Amino acid sequence: MDPIILGIAVVNGILLGGLYGAVALGLSLIFGVMRVINFAHGTFLMIGLFIPFWTWQLFGLNPYVAVVIAAPALFLLGYAIQSVIIAPLFERERAMVLEPLSVLLLTAGIGLILDNLALMAFGPSVRGVQMPFASKTLWIGEMLNINYARLMAFLVSIAIAVGLTLFLSRSDLGRSIRSTAQNRDAAALCGINVRQVYNITFGLGCAILGVIGCFMVPFYYVSPTVGLSFGIRSFITVVLGGIGSIPGSILGGLILGVVESVAGQFVTATSASIFSFVIFILVLLFRPTGLMGMKV
Amino acid sequence: MPANRESRSVLIGAGAIVCACFLLAPIGIRGEYYLHVLANILFFAYMACAWNIVSGYTGQLSLGHSALGGIGGYVSTLLFIYLGLSPWLGMLVGGFTAMLVGVAIGFPCFRLRGPYFTLTTIAFAEILRIWVENTDEFMGLELRGAQGLLVPLKGNAPLLFQFDSKVSYYYVILVMLLMVAAVTWWMEQSRMGFYLKAIRADQDAAEALGINSTRYLLSAMALSSFLTAMGGSFYAQYFRYINPERNMGLDFSIEVALMGIVGGQGTVIGPILGAFLLTPAGEISRSLLGGKLMGLHLVIYGLVLVLAVMFLPKGLIEPIGRLFGSRRRRPTEAPAVRTAS
Amino acid sequence: MMKRVFLIAIILGLLAVPFGMAQAGEKVDEIRIGVVVPLSGIGATVGAQMKTGATIAADEINNQGGIKALGGAKLKLVIGDTQAKPDVAASEAERLIQRDNVQVIIGSYQSAVTIVATEVAERYKTPWVVLASVADRITGRGFKYIFRPCNLAVYDAKEQLEAIKALSQETGKAPKTIGLFVEGTEWGKSHAQNVRTLLKNYGYDLVFDEAYTPGQADFSAQILKIRSKKPDLLIVAMFTPDHILFNKQYMENKLDLPFGLHSVGSGAEDPAFYAATPPKAVEYMFVQEDFQIDITDVQPWTQGVSKKAKEVLGYDLNAYVAQGYSNVYIIVDALERAASADKEKLREALAKTNITSGPALITGYNKIAFDATGQNVDSHGAISQNLNGKRTTVWPASNRPQGLKYVWPIPAWKDR
Repeated sequence: MDPIILGIAVVNGILLGGLYGAVALGLSLIFGVMRVINFAHGTFLMIGLFIPFWTWQLFGLNPYVAVVIAAPALFLLGYAIQSVIIAPLFERERAMVLEPLSVLLLTAGIGLILDNLALMAFGPSVRGVQMPFASKTLWIGEMLNINYARLMAFLVSIAIAVGLTLFLSRSDLGRSIRSTAQNRDAAALCGINVRQVYNITFGLGCAILGVIGCFMVPFYYVSPTVGLSFGIRSFITVVLGGIGSIPGSILGGLILGVVESVAGQFVTATSASIFSFVIFILVLLFRPTGLMGMKV
Repeated sequence: MPANRESRSVLIGAGAIVCACFLLAPIGIRGEYYLHVLANILFFAYMACAWNIVSGYTGQLSLGHSALGGIGGYVSTLLFIYLGLSPWLGMLVGGFTAMLVGVAIGFPCFRLRGPYFTLTTIAFAEILRIWVENTDEFMGLELRGAQGLLVPLKGNAPLLFQFDSKVSYYYVILVMLLMVAAVTWWMEQSRMGFYLKAIRADQDAAEALGINSTRYLLSAMALSSFLTAMGGSFYAQYFRYINPERNMGLDFSIEVALMGIVGGQGTVIGPILGAFLLTPAGEISRSLLGGKLMGLHLVIYGLVLVLAVMFLPKGLIEPIGRLFGSRRRRPTEAPAVRTAS
Repeated sequence: MMKRVFLIAIILGLLAVPFGMAQAGEKVDEIRIGVVVPLSGIGATVGAQMKTGATIAADEINNQGGIKALGGAKLKLVIGDTQAKPDVAASEAERLIQRDNVQVIIGSYQSAVTIVATEVAERYKTPWVVLASVADRITGRGFKYIFRPCNLAVYDAKEQLEAIKALSQETGKAPKTIGLFVEGTEWGKSHAQNVRTLLKNYGYDLVFDEAYTPGQADFSAQILKIRSKKPDLLIVAMFTPDHILFNKQYMENKLDLPFGLHSVGSGAEDPAFYAATPPKAVEYMFVQEDFQIDITDVQPWTQGVSKKAKEVLGYDLNAYVAQGYSNVYIIVDALERAASADKEKLREALAKTNITSGPALITGYNKIAFDATGQNVDSHGAISQNLNGKRTTVWPASNRPQGLKYVWPIPAWKDR
């Protein structure tokens, strides 16, 4: 294998992996704090992609600017869904089992509803934003080609991860979230409004997808089914990196991206995805905390 | 069984009426379409019950069961195509194959708990599905990968598990459903069921009491896999076509799990009720709304689902159980000993 | 006690729902055509296009007085959503045939879905006119009620290779090596298999042959591989989202394919693909589809249909709208000849179809006539090249606009 080609595959894998990591961030957060598998995660990403698309289509707004609309909108949506629909069920189940099972199904149902509302409202067509900037690339040497839009998305992913880590470690709210994640009953005993923490966490997880969406839209596509392919991949990323660990999520994404990219040079892409699942299972069995996760 | 004699006789009476209805249904129903819908419902009820044997009674949610069904379907179909072996027998071979695969998967999976278990079952199922999808030929057998397998048409061949009329298929799946319900009930009453209840309530405590949880969990998995695979063979014979995407895919696993949970997991008739609610809900909303606004019928279906999960967290079985004055504590009512940490 | 009996009754009532669903009333003077297509999930775009084409045709017929041979009987379309799942499609077919009493059905795009649903139709002796499904097996089972106006999968592959051969012969410049890059499920892989089988007759070397998982987010890895293998020409089979991403990256990476990118439809037939991809990324691309894309120029009467499609869908006539439209006209032609709503007579009339002119040929075929297996042997697609943002037919030569200068080989990226 030509080392240059391998190197290029690694670089491409890193760029893509950063994106996977960022998409998985919200999932990791929600999973880590609430122990909920959010099956509607891909759906929120889809909404996060549609908002900047529509602001571009209808108002000519640059998707990067649309962050100020998408992030709050998704935060509110996540907050609302969590507090109104999920919370009552969650609290009922919480008394019985540690990891709420029905909540998983509830999120699946919510995902189904939102997916199809989007289908009803926007139609099934695949859309894309046409921005001259999005096609500009950076050439390094003759063969390595980095798309600016993807690079931006990668940098933003890292920025979000850093920002989120700082927020969780430095701010009061962040500390509340972390302590709730560690032990919700003890946190409640310390006077933390656990329900509010959950609402904010869910909203935050969705808001992250709003930001990512704005930075993905220039080079990706938008459709009611766009979230599907990110669904399982996000879970693999989260598990690989470690539940509840923000840097772990990015690291997991990077590893996944590089493995997919490099494996794709040796075997066909379809077989390479089996690799990802095998790694996923091995990590779960032999190192369930993931690479950087907290004790489960 | 409900506590007092009066409730019990009402229950038995109701049960008898229901069974009689089902046995006589083909005579009363006009049109093969309704029979088809019923057979469909019974098929999903069967799959939900088979799934329930492991997921309902161990408390570990498996979302990879479709792969086991797919294995059943593929094995019986391949044996039919290459050896001319009747799918009646092929079904059993498929069952045994799936049983081996299920136990092999269960062994590592049961070391995990909760959502990790679920995610791992999904991962295993996806690996199997992707492998089949990308394999055109395996050891000389044409698997045709993503194109799927067509079951050779033999017209009306009862010995080869092919019938012209829906009625025969209806009775076959009805018998299969009764069988799986009987097996579930027997298991529930047996020592295995007793131990599984203990494991489900608190696995660590059960093990501390000397219960070999691995043995019982894997037994449940083996039983469930065998029955699920037989369902997969039925599907292959009913629709005469199987492919990895539909028969081994995540969608199918989720559909079946939903019925089990909405109906009431860990009970004998819970999954059957779930299938009777969700399958017609899907069918009716699609027939009324399918052609109108795109996706509307799925929104309605999703709403039914969300409402069912929100207001019937223990499943449909709960209000119906209360109806019969059942004072029996259900497995989910056992308080969790573990604290949140 | 009474409360319990009452509640039991309710439960039995619930259980009885499937038993008691109301029967639709039978109407006289009406021909019901079932339209069984994906209207949610994957493929919903295409399903919507097919439904639109069929609706436009049905409206036209009804406005012109319905089926003359049946005393002006109107057409009624009964829609079913397959959700892209074979068992759901089978249920829809059952319902349409048994409960809604349709005389004939059209559908269903995905081959896996069509295979199962057409078997239901065959069992109930209901004619079925296939929409867009190319799998050989659909007409290869000895069924009598299934008719396919559009291409067999192997025709698509053959046409691509024939076009390459024709353009090579006309210009004297031929490619030597070919690459195949297809989506990894049913359609893509069967197309790849067909190309591989036919390749022997054309003498090209296959230097790259891979499948990808639909929904892939990044094609850089494969573009890298393709670049290192240096095929003269790349044949692709991709769905819309993948095609958008691939073309964008193919442009950004300046992947040079001297004899072009040859796409066999689906994504490349979707107007949404062109709306979402920069024009430079689709320049000079060759597209094979079961439709002559510039037919509105060549046959002006089609512009009316295109306009109506635009009102509903927001974009012009495309292959799937045309097929939906054409299938309805094929059925109408058969109904007029059968002069009966009886399914048997309709089937016989369909088997004897011989259309050489008229609205049914909106797809660009020269003739529609079904052989013993139900396949239209005169179906053919057309290959277009994207020149200056306009897709223009380059093959077959008889469909090519007069004096067209196509581009063969295509310029390298640095020369554009």
